[in-house]
Amino acid sequence: MGGTAAMIGVLRSELFKLRTTRATKVVVACSIALPAIIFTLTSMYAFSNGEVGDSLVSMVGNFAPLTGLLLGVVGVLCSTQEYSQGTIRITLVATPNRFTVLVAKLLTTVVVSTVSSVLMLLLCLVPSQLILSSRNIDFATIDTDVRILFSVVILSVFLSVLGLSLGLVFKSSPGAISALLLWPTILEGMVFGLLSVAFDRNMMKFAPVQGNGFRLIAHYANESNSWLVSLTVFTAFVAVFAVLGAVFFSRRDA
Amino acid sequence: MIVVENLTKSYGSKKAVDSLSFSVAPGRVTGFLGPNGSGKSTTMRCMLGLDRPDTGHVLFDGKAYTEFERPLTQVGSLLDAGDAHKGRTARNHLRWIALTHGISVQRVDQVLQMVGMTEAANTRVGKFSLGMRQRLGLAAALLGDPKVVILDEPANGLDPEGIRWTREVMRHLADEGRSVLVSSHQLVELSLVADDLVVIGQGSLISSGPISQFMTQHAKTWVRVVSPSIDALAELVRLAGGTIEKTLEGVDFHGISAAAIGEIAAKNNFVLHELSPQIGSLEQAFLDATDASVEYRGESATSTWAAPQQ
Repeated sequence: MGGTAAMIGVLRSELFKLRTTRATKVVVACSIALPAIIFTLTSMYAFSNGEVGDSLVSMVGNFAPLTGLLLGVVGVLCSTQEYSQGTIRITLVATPNRFTVLVAKLLTTVVVSTVSSVLMLLLCLVPSQLILSSRNIDFATIDTDVRILFSVVILSVFLSVLGLSLGLVFKSSPGAISALLLWPTILEGMVFGLLSVAFDRNMMKFAPVQGNGFRLIAHYANESNSWLVSLTVFTAFVAVFAVLGAVFFSRRDA
Repeated sequence: MIVVENLTKSYGSKKAVDSLSFSVAPGRVTGFLGPNGSGKSTTMRCMLGLDRPDTGHVLFDGKAYTEFERPLTQVGSLLDAGDAHKGRTARNHLRWIALTHGISVQRVDQVLQMVGMTEAANTRVGKFSLGMRQRLGLAAALLGDPKVVILDEPANGLDPEGIRWTREVMRHLADEGRSVLVSSHQLVELSLVADDLVVIGQGSLISSGPISQFMTQHAKTWVRVVSPSIDALAELVRLAGGTIEKTLEGVDFHGISAAAIGEIAAKNNFVLHELSPQIGSLEQAFLDATDASVEYRGESATSTWAAPQQ
């Protein structure tokens, strides 16, 4: 069994693990279904003035942080469930090469988050177009926001990788999920808000998740970074944790 | 063949395993004994590449565990019966392990049948008793049809039938030419199946070799005598350097051989109803051998435990 065959085996095993745990399935389903349900209901009952102000893609993009953070939780579960259930020992006994396990977990997370975010986009956009058309409401599907379509997927993938990395660092679901959810939603705003007051300038554009990651799906604003700069900052932030997670995973006793 | 050479593993300033060396031969069941905290599990984890030893190495037929491309076909292990996701079914637990090696679903069903869990194959692990989890763990260890089997306390939580079954499985695996290393605190069971023993205390080797050698070195021996003239015989034996212990079955003589007692009896025309050399149990030999290295010791229940005062 060569290296490629071994990797394919471990990949199939990792995907199978995710498919056979209830918590993962529920969170993945929520990350797809919640935005789709809200967006469908919005399409059915909102826009009573007869037109949609923004493009549909741009509006769907607003759900990207929700989907991304939920897929981040999936990333966390992909690693921490192994430690909490003790299966990490069997995983590493079956595949002693930790790099192979790490890459397989990373690829699994990327595949699941890509498929989930694309599904989310489809389930938001297709029904809403049909509903809005049947209601004779004017709307633009994409307009000039093609970038947002890709950004939704990129944000989801990066947040799931961030979740996986935090899981590898913390080893426990409560710690990793708390860090994943509290940092972008509360702590980052507080820290960079205080820094903005202290330096009397807008420091939020340096905030890796709120100021850059979430900005990928927003329209440009003068005071914020460009899409490419935001992508670079966010990538660097995720990469730091990915490296940390990899180092912890490869060096720690199981 | 497993060769452990000069294995040392420390956690902070505490040495869990200290320059440990031993070997496990194919076709034999080797018992791995030691008091709690003596380093048995750490040694097993180091053997499987889960913990990194500070020094030393472990070789399976000349190769380190991490060098195997398909390790489950070389070494099967059961370290902890709790190592399974409670939400997965038994079959799915084995399937994800099988997928890493391209092992077929048929083999999964086969090992489930081997451990008597076919009917529980689609039951979630969370609903299993400890005994059933042990069986599932054993199924996982046998999944790759390995040449070496490493089992950490495989009889934990099993009922008497399960314990007997585990013993038969280990014997069968060894008879097929596999190396079987098993740690257990159930010394009576181990004495019935083990060919060799590796005994460690505080991370260091105390004894390694055939079980008979260990018993010769560490087990107590004495001579039991039943005779109508026991008091007179006892007096003469005492003069010859033996010590005497009266029991319900007769009198036990220590420090003197059965032949010497027989000669004393013959010279003095004493009638003997029984003259039998006795040997202590593996449990007693183990306790004596590891007495100096016991890390956690409870108080004697009979001497110091008192009922709570009302």
